[in-house]
Amino acid sequence: MGYGRSDSYRVATTQDKDKSPKKKKGGKDMDELKKEVPITEHKMSIEEVCRKFQTDCVQGLTNAKAAEYLIRDGPNALTPPPTTPEWVKFCRQLFGGFSVLLWTGAILCFLAYAIQAATEDDPAGDNLYLGIVLTAVVVITGCFSYFQEAKSSKIMESFKNMVPQQALVIREGEKVQINAEEVVGGDLVEVKGGDRIPADIRVVSAHGCKVDNSSLTGESEPQSRSPDNTHDNPLETRNVAFFSTNCVEGTARGIVICTGDRTVMGRIATLTSGLETGKTPIAKEIEHFIHIITGVAVFLGVTFFILAIVLGYSWLEAVIFLIGIIVANVPEGLLATVTVCLTLTAKRMAKKNCLVKNLEAVETLGSTSTICSDKTGTLTQNRMTVAHMWFDNQIHEADTTEDQSGASFDKSSVTWLSLARVAGLCNRAQFKAGQDALPILKRDVAGDASESALLKCIELCCGSVRANRDRNKKVAEIPFNSTNKYQLSIHETEDTNDNRYLLVMKGAPERILDCCSTIMVQGKEQPMDEELKESFQNAYMELGGLGERVLGFCHTMLAEDQYPKGFAFDTDDVNFQTDQLCFIGLMSMIDPPRAAVPDAVGKCRSAGIKVIMVTGDHPITAKAIAKGVGIISEGNETVEDIAARLNIPVSQVNPRDAKACVIHGTDLKDLSQDQMDDILRNHTEIVFARTSPQQKLIIVEGCQRLGAIVAVTGDGVNDSPALKKADIGVAMGISGSDVSKQAADMILLDDNFASIVTGVEEGRLIFDNLKKSIAYTLTSNIPEITPFLLFICANIPLPLGTITILCIDLGTDMVPAISLAYETAESDIMKRQPRNPFRDKLVNERLISIAYGQIGMIQAVAGFFAYFVILAENGFLPSRLVGIRLNWDDRSVNDLEDSYGQQWTYEQRKIVEFTCHTAFFVSIVVVQWADVIICKTRRNSVFQQGMRNKILIFGLFEETALAAFLSYCPGMDVALRMYPLKPSWWFCAFPYSFLIFVYDEVRKLLLRRNPGGWVERETYY
Amino acid sequence: MQAGTMDLVTLVVFGSWLAPALGSAFGREVFASAENADKDYDSAFEYDYESLRIGGLVFAVVLFVLGIVLIVTKKCSCSSDKPRPKDPDVETAVPIAQ
Repeated sequence: MGYGRSDSYRVATTQDKDKSPKKKKGGKDMDELKKEVPITEHKMSIEEVCRKFQTDCVQGLTNAKAAEYLIRDGPNALTPPPTTPEWVKFCRQLFGGFSVLLWTGAILCFLAYAIQAATEDDPAGDNLYLGIVLTAVVVITGCFSYFQEAKSSKIMESFKNMVPQQALVIREGEKVQINAEEVVGGDLVEVKGGDRIPADIRVVSAHGCKVDNSSLTGESEPQSRSPDNTHDNPLETRNVAFFSTNCVEGTARGIVICTGDRTVMGRIATLTSGLETGKTPIAKEIEHFIHIITGVAVFLGVTFFILAIVLGYSWLEAVIFLIGIIVANVPEGLLATVTVCLTLTAKRMAKKNCLVKNLEAVETLGSTSTICSDKTGTLTQNRMTVAHMWFDNQIHEADTTEDQSGASFDKSSVTWLSLARVAGLCNRAQFKAGQDALPILKRDVAGDASESALLKCIELCCGSVRANRDRNKKVAEIPFNSTNKYQLSIHETEDTNDNRYLLVMKGAPERILDCCSTIMVQGKEQPMDEELKESFQNAYMELGGLGERVLGFCHTMLAEDQYPKGFAFDTDDVNFQTDQLCFIGLMSMIDPPRAAVPDAVGKCRSAGIKVIMVTGDHPITAKAIAKGVGIISEGNETVEDIAARLNIPVSQVNPRDAKACVIHGTDLKDLSQDQMDDILRNHTEIVFARTSPQQKLIIVEGCQRLGAIVAVTGDGVNDSPALKKADIGVAMGISGSDVSKQAADMILLDDNFASIVTGVEEGRLIFDNLKKSIAYTLTSNIPEITPFLLFICANIPLPLGTITILCIDLGTDMVPAISLAYETAESDIMKRQPRNPFRDKLVNERLISIAYGQIGMIQAVAGFFAYFVILAENGFLPSRLVGIRLNWDDRSVNDLEDSYGQQWTYEQRKIVEFTCHTAFFVSIVVVQWADVIICKTRRNSVFQQGMRNKILIFGLFEETALAAFLSYCPGMDVALRMYPLKPSWWFCAFPYSFLIFVYDEVRKLLLRRNPGGWVERETYY
Repeated sequence: MQAGTMDLVTLVVFGSWLAPALGSAFGREVFASAENADKDYDSAFEYDYESLRIGGLVFAVVLFVLGIVLIVTKKCSCSSDKPRPKDPDVETAVPIAQ
């Protein structure tokens, strides 16, 4: 968790920025592996690759060679990230954060007891008991939080896919099905649609092979694979298929070039597990809190140590006092309170689909100032959908909402019917069987994304496509390929009297337009003139500019005399007309944003959170989606937009004028750290497109360098380094890959970006409420310490004992403190800026001043009042008490006289003393009533906030019941030395309780009346 | 109706204590007075701790039960209470995308 280490890491990233994702750390073997050159096989010819691996691209490896390679390279599996053993996790809970304070207290207690035991004949057991209780508290709370976290990690386990993978390899010319783990470099592998790719392979032959790289890149759009090298970058080239991605359709053969941890996927996973992350914001806050508390404790301890020496106590006694005072400052119940509060919030968040893996991460979202979000699947629905159509010389908008609640367009036009017919017929996608009960949008489709989008769109608008296809039997077909850029099919018509054939075609719009001589407008064919062509161009440009994928459609009825019934259409050597067709229209598709996202982004913005989009997709699409969801808000322009509007070159635009910017991954690579900082600082709306996993990491680090607390959302393996590095990584529960879930701190069970907003809200609320809880708990520290101080200085009988202190801290104070976690927000927490981690602390001097200096003091006075009343009623007036201590605590003095001359034995005196302890305890309970009510709010009046918090009222009842029980239960005088109180003694503290309430209401009134005034500056915590 | 019973109970409980409490000025354990045989002087020092204990325990139990009742009824009023402020959030945020 050291910062030094993350710094050394940072240097490393800048160094190998241009190389493949690499990371040091881990064993020496790991370092060795990572020094190996990145993939170059895609640039080699197949023969070269075969030579390199001593394999044969027909026969495959020999079994002997394969066995040899397997021994050399190890199994083809990812090394699981080093899991922390359970006992280490447990110890982390036992000794982490807040527990340190309690452990120190416990050790000091034992130390003090040891000193007492060594020096006194009959040592008081108080220190020993306190030490034991402190230890018990830490251990119990440790166990509690350990089991809490174990529970959420159990949910994690369930995500793991335990099915063993199989791979079809060719060895010695024979196809064998082997375990994917046994695949070695040089193996000839065959994959077909539906298979998972067993290793990184260099494709040697392919038939319509398409792979889904979503687990690697997050983009689910299938990409075709062929033996030719199309790009220098191994990640972009067509002839490499990657480990753990899926083959969607077609078949391919390839030679394995990397296995296990050396694969691209393996590198990212290793990079991720090698990253060290910093402390969570709440952990830092708790550390700061411990510093303050320790400061106060040591200050008090040392002051009274000196005072004790001056007053003539012996050294050892003074040391015991010192330890006693320091330990008395430890808020015993706070650790449990904080843990329970966080757990409650974690539970509440889990109900709202945010699963928190680490308790401390509960608050992190609340402090978040920047969210770096992935696009596909998080902001968008991750399904291609028809968004626009152009026909009848007009752009029509289709309904892209998930529940079909959006507006529809005019479906009455004859042109639309023709368009729908073409889109339905010239389409190879079809619904998988057995899904008739499901709504159309939820059905699974076999086929490519665009065709599925068309299929669903047509099915929704015009009814069963299958029935339509049955009526128009397909006679011939030319499937889409990248050279034609069109797809064509010929059908019989549904009219049995009509013997003509129908030719339908779809493809790249410009390609389709070239084949057409006429265009259909309002159902009538018109010759294509320049005006219509221009209108087509405009529509095409406009839809393309929206980041949509545009397809053109056309058809024609083939003349019966040329193509009579039974004509043999030859699709290889085309023997029919493919020009002079009739253009119908355009349809454009996009992966539309999720419905709830724009709203959520708006909420984030009003909450002062910057939302940055980081995507592997193309800049135009990314920008379009960013505009759609409000990441680039309306009216804000990028540098390019301004340049286009003013018609000047991009270089002449002042970058400061543009609030928004879209940055391409290749540009990002060339940016210096300063330039990067400059961009992140000066642009409020940023989109990063075509980014690599490593660049995501650099972006996150850039934001963190500027002091932001960064949340990252992502689902792909490519996101996992960034997820790990972020202050809070948010993975997707449904679409997310295992690696990303492992790296994340939080999981959105419904994959919905909007759930993040709930997380932010809950996080901010718990931060406020923790402040209140802590303020409440700390206040009672003062009435607990002062009796001991006065005992030392004024030599009065001890007014409050250790046992009673524990009864307050671990008994009566617990439920009210926890109940403050249920408080509702005082104002709209989503309207304020995220807290500044340097200025807005969980516990600051003002909180300490209120708790210790003001309310605590009143409470102490209340306690002492009850103490003096009881002693006075028994005959000891306050004047008699000062300096009485030595005689009072002396067992041999059995005739101590009170103010009236009555004589008291040691036992009798002790009974009065313990009755005083009980009364002091009850008084603290009474003043804590007022305290919990004033702690409900930090600014508002209680009358504005109301008393709707039922748990709090429950807490008030329970603490009073507990106090009464402890005082009146028979046997308590023996067990805890608590004695029954006369009813009148209960009322001693009432005026003080009232005073606390009035005092704080007045303070808050002044605070509200003079915003920014002295009262606010000095007392608003 | 519930508040009514509560008031009544507290009244009774408090009443049952206040009477003896007001009656005596101060006093401690019974044996403190037992040593002095003179009963006339010691009557002021005697205190009925037995009924005080019982009264106190009844008070504790009543409060405890009331607290529990409050939590139990919280569920009913909560289900009609809580959704009100939270409805807008939930509706816009969650159910649309599943």
